[in-house]
Amino acid sequence: MTTPAIAISHLRKVYRGGTVAVDDLSMTIEPGDFFGFLGPNGAGKSTTIHCITGIAKPTSGKIEIFGVDAVKDYREARRLIGLSPQEFNVDTFATVTQIIEWMAGYFGLPAALRRQRTQMLIERFDLTAHAKKQFRELSGGLKRRVILARALVHDPRLLILDEPTAGVDVELRLDLWRYLQELNREGKTILLTSHYLEEIERLTRTIAIIAGGRIVREGPKSEFTSGAGLENAYLTATGATPEHIAAMGAR
Amino acid sequence: MSNETQELPVMVPMRPMTINWIGLWTIIRREWSRVMRVPIQAFLAPWISALLFIFIFGYVVGGRMPATQGHKYIQFVLPGVLMLNVVNASFLQSTSQIYFQRFLRYIEETLVSPLSYVEMIVGSLAMTIVRAVVTSLGILVIGVAFGATEVNSIAEFLFWVVGVAVIFGLLGIIVGLWANNFEQLTMLNVFFITPLSMVGGVFNTVSMLPGWLKWIAWGNPFFYFVNGLRHSMIGYSDGADVVPIGVAVTLGLMAVMGVTVWRLFAVGYGLRE
Repeated sequence: MTTPAIAISHLRKVYRGGTVAVDDLSMTIEPGDFFGFLGPNGAGKSTTIHCITGIAKPTSGKIEIFGVDAVKDYREARRLIGLSPQEFNVDTFATVTQIIEWMAGYFGLPAALRRQRTQMLIERFDLTAHAKKQFRELSGGLKRRVILARALVHDPRLLILDEPTAGVDVELRLDLWRYLQELNREGKTILLTSHYLEEIERLTRTIAIIAGGRIVREGPKSEFTSGAGLENAYLTATGATPEHIAAMGAR
Repeated sequence: MSNETQELPVMVPMRPMTINWIGLWTIIRREWSRVMRVPIQAFLAPWISALLFIFIFGYVVGGRMPATQGHKYIQFVLPGVLMLNVVNASFLQSTSQIYFQRFLRYIEETLVSPLSYVEMIVGSLAMTIVRAVVTSLGILVIGVAFGATEVNSIAEFLFWVVGVAVIFGLLGIIVGLWANNFEQLTMLNVFFITPLSMVGGVFNTVSMLPGWLKWIAWGNPFFYFVNGLRHSMIGYSDGADVVPIGVAVTLGLMAVMGVTVWRLFAVGYGLRE
């Protein structure tokens, strides 16, 4: 039996003020999977990701990354993860090269390897012409590329992408999809959240839908896409009324 | 994006985590880069401020005063002005470092990385110490121009500069974690640090204070910091016990605040949701 890439058991996250963002969530992602994580706004997707990556502290529950406890052995767990978050959490006055290279440094890459990987990723994401520009000078699409390059610089085993193509043009989205599929073929486990059902349908092999802080449906993609389709399955799982679904279908 | 298949360099196999020296050095490099975006504010401003204090109080006013405890007044006041600037530089460095990381959310880059809390704290303090030492060296050079610079013990001098930088660096981290807006960031400086430092013996000996104010001096940590630095430079302090008590106060504060900051990082205060 292989060790799951992510094993979450009864995760609960309650924010100050009493908001229950994640309520008894359990989920397993197998190594090498391309896992789609769907849910409406406020369902708990980003909170779950924040708990996995250390940005948020779980209230209770257990998270393991390739068998490593994400809280007790947080340093080992974080070495395995690369995160491309939804929000731009970047020093906006830093240059593209600095942002990527500093992250490589945080993960302990020696200087020569840092330079090599930074340069390779800048070239791979067509950022060469912008390498010395400050992050705040970039367009939204370029910023997304920088965030993704930053997540990959230390070659993580698990890549977590929180709405990576939000605000991105069609050409870049297609390029990113191709690149992510390539990474997954190379063995990288990918957890993707997105509001674009087409993206989930095209890229993922397993899907989980979260609503109200809990997983409401989980399974192979084929279970969602057969029958009435992913959109219908999503709306049903998240509590849409039959009339609402019918209205969506009519459009 | 480039469509060419590129071989990315083979990653070094991961060894078990020990001290992340490269990560620690990256925090320091990064923070140096941030400080060097504002070199005038970081270095020139305190030097100019010190120059004005030394010129007006030390040279112009002090030139008309009798010797203070056997030293020219300008020699007496220079350590106080230097300590004032070490305190300000350290506190400002630390608060701005943590607060702006939180404000722009790039604190999350360290939170998702395999840096231990100790490494995060030490990395932050390292730059605080660098800024404090550079500031103090500049002020010493200014003092040379006025014939006021004298350092009796370099080791003792460094103890006071580095020790006080660490204390106010740690205090700055606490404030940076607590503050939710720019006003809160400066409140401690306005209502606590600046007033206490001013009455901590920067410009006067304890004997010059009115009787009812003298006891405050003994309970004011700045009194020990200023006297300690003054002792390292011109060999004078306001009493034989002041320096040993000051050493104990400094080491004690470093220990207490160090543990406090480590605990705050461990529980994620101001850092983690």
